[in-house]
Amino acid sequence: MALPQRKTDIGPPHYKQFLPPVIQKNYGDWKYHEVLTPGSMVHVAESGDKLWTVRMASPRILSTDTIREICALAEKYCDGYLRFTSRNNVEFLVSDEKKVAPLMKELKDQKRTVGGIGPMISNVVHTQGWVHCHSACTDASGLVKSMMDELHDYFTTKELPNKVRLAVACCVNMCGAVHCSDIAIVAVHTKMPEINHDNFKNMCEMPTVIGACPTRAISPDPAKKSVKINPDKCMYCGNCFTVCPPISIKNPERDGVAIVVGGKVSSLRSNPKFSKLVIPYISNEPPRWPKVVAAVKHIVDVYAKNAKKHERVGEWIERIGWERFFSLTGIDFTFQSIDDFTFMRDTMRTASTFKW
Amino acid sequence: MKKYNTPLLDDLEKGPWPSFVTEMKKAGKKNEMANDAVGHLEKCYSTKKGYWKHGGIVGVLGYGGGVIGRYSELGEEFPGVAHFHTVRLNQPSGWFYTSKVLREICDIWDKYGSGLTNVHGSTGDLVLLGCRTEALEPLFAEYSSRGWDLGGSGSDMRTPSCCVGPGRCEWANYNTLEACYQITQEFQDELHRPMFAYKSKIKFAGCACDCVASAARADFSVIGTWKGDIKIDQKEVKNYANKMDINAEIVDMCPTKCMSYNGKELKINNSECNRCMHCITRMTKALRPSGERGVTICMGSKAPIVVGSLLSWVIVPFMKMEPPYTEFKAFVRKCWEWWDDNAKPRERIGEVIEAKGMRSFLEAIGVPPQPQQIREPRKDPFIFYTDEDIARFKAKEAEEKKTGKYKF
Amino acid sequence: MDINELKDKIYAFVEAAKGKKKLKEKDIIKGVSAEQGLTPEEVKKAMREMIDVGKLMYSYGGGASSVEIPSEEYLREKGLIK
Repeated sequence: MALPQRKTDIGPPHYKQFLPPVIQKNYGDWKYHEVLTPGSMVHVAESGDKLWTVRMASPRILSTDTIREICALAEKYCDGYLRFTSRNNVEFLVSDEKKVAPLMKELKDQKRTVGGIGPMISNVVHTQGWVHCHSACTDASGLVKSMMDELHDYFTTKELPNKVRLAVACCVNMCGAVHCSDIAIVAVHTKMPEINHDNFKNMCEMPTVIGACPTRAISPDPAKKSVKINPDKCMYCGNCFTVCPPISIKNPERDGVAIVVGGKVSSLRSNPKFSKLVIPYISNEPPRWPKVVAAVKHIVDVYAKNAKKHERVGEWIERIGWERFFSLTGIDFTFQSIDDFTFMRDTMRTASTFKW
Repeated sequence: MKKYNTPLLDDLEKGPWPSFVTEMKKAGKKNEMANDAVGHLEKCYSTKKGYWKHGGIVGVLGYGGGVIGRYSELGEEFPGVAHFHTVRLNQPSGWFYTSKVLREICDIWDKYGSGLTNVHGSTGDLVLLGCRTEALEPLFAEYSSRGWDLGGSGSDMRTPSCCVGPGRCEWANYNTLEACYQITQEFQDELHRPMFAYKSKIKFAGCACDCVASAARADFSVIGTWKGDIKIDQKEVKNYANKMDINAEIVDMCPTKCMSYNGKELKINNSECNRCMHCITRMTKALRPSGERGVTICMGSKAPIVVGSLLSWVIVPFMKMEPPYTEFKAFVRKCWEWWDDNAKPRERIGEVIEAKGMRSFLEAIGVPPQPQQIREPRKDPFIFYTDEDIARFKAKEAEEKKTGKYKF
Repeated sequence: MDINELKDKIYAFVEAAKGKKKLKEKDIIKGVSAEQGLTPEEVKKAMREMIDVGKLMYSYGGGASSVEIPSEEYLREKGLIK
């Protein structure tokens, strides 16, 4: 069969054709919304019209058949209208109140995971990992699945003081907002890369490789027509590997993950914040990463017990102080948590007014 | 179809959270490529190592973005993943779909690719995972003829994305969905043909809640805001008082302490409000913004590579944001031009601003210095003065001598 | 300058850098417009026409995009050579 004529530079289709009639009618005229259950909410327009949303978790990797199953549900209960959230959840957009309960029931019967609205743990923003990325030093999807199996009550039923945004990055490139999440996992290398000098001269531009190093650890190695790396300066970021494939940094025995906490992106109450390093290293233990899961669960539990209502993890920690965070959680404080990259002068304490 | 023994991945099919392994196997039942992807991943799990090579040189004719080449080192062992390229489809604003178009997307993908997807990827595109090089042109012909174009990748403007906005949110201060659509259309050339030193991202958030995390990961974080008062419905305040402690949960948590509640009436000193959204999000029936709407444009945020992560900095405290978005488009062009003139390879605009100095950037784009841009003024005394700066200070002093009045 | 002549100049410019430096679009536009005394717009237009027909192609490597002379493999895949 002949292929249709390709078109270029058409951009995405206009969103308006995908909006259910109730949204088209009340576009920009929403008055308020109410969270009905952790998996459903209703938006009420100035006109009095209502739109119900039912939110369902997704593993982000979806087969086309599962997408078709989701479509079938949307067709049965919402005239085919649905959307996805920025955290990869599915949202069924229901215009008829009578269809909300049957939809929820069918989702339950199909063993779908419904929830994530309100002060809960929503879906986890994550990267490709071993599933599909060349620079991954762990598998993001496996970590997410393992963590959320453990924490899924916080998606479906259990409330927390505020939202807890989790994220997983499979290397320090941190695709997604991992560096500003309440609790995030970032996979790290811990050993200096090795260089295949024979391939270097064909595949890499020397100035680019030298310039790629944030700590100036890389210098020319004229004898080999390649570069050398200063072991005292390398902090294994892997940026040289990104610009030069013959520099290899993968190391199954040494690659692992670190846990950072206290970030946020919204400006509610306090400014957006970066996540900060609290657990510097846990070995990769596929398929379930039990120690990582336990650590995240533990931090969530301590937060749930100690934070005031509406405080995000970072706001709670700023109120009690980082020294108290480490004592409450019992996490060992290590050299790795003291910044020796670019931010030391902004992160050291300059007063004697700390807590014991 | 080859049958792989996958004990490690099988374990990830257990438990209550939806399983990505189940999805991969489901696609693998019908598709050799997806089936090999399962075997390939099991190998990664057993050796704790990834086997994908660096991205390769693949794409559709005329475009430099939208396809990411992906090849496995283990192509002989797992032929289905020897080529396993990613195709990014530009999502509709706000990720709204009808089942009809999603089915169509799936049907085309099943015909040419692995049947695996990410709905969606981190940047916002609908990601199709795994196809061979020779499938790219037919795939693109099928999608583009039905109204779907590719997203960005490489050193181009990446696919813009936005929050749900006025589609379903009472807090949206501007039309994020339309802004995202029109800006994506305006910059099609920049999206498809990598012309920059590195990637450039634009994200549209309707309010300070920032549901697209624009503040953390966009060169242009376009965040909705307003200039008028917060309107208070005291009757609704009373209703909230029945279910919450307004003083503890709202008044005491206000960052500017511009609110008070005496058990009967909620008061806001609007001139001191910094529009953080806490009270509005917790009492949405009682409180809502009013008056002039627009955006604050913050710039420069990015992940840690190379010299540490950045959050976006306030550059333009307020800009009107209405179709046809002429001012915003001109602003983006000016910023890109300066970035392009000054960036070294793989430098994001935030890094170039840091290297060249905020003054250099602000002057180039014609934005004056304003206290809204900073958290605090500089604390070191290592100050640049141009001859013109000093001449201006001197002229001001001469004027003061004439009038007998100091103007600081 | 005749557009075909300009295209030859652009091709020669890209060819000269082959194996030495990855050229961004901007490098080609700046370099050729300076070399030939043309406006950047003219060079950009000609370069784009070349990319559209596979005379040049976008490439990606080392974390950034560049413009290169297409490989035979690419041309064959695009049906531009047999």
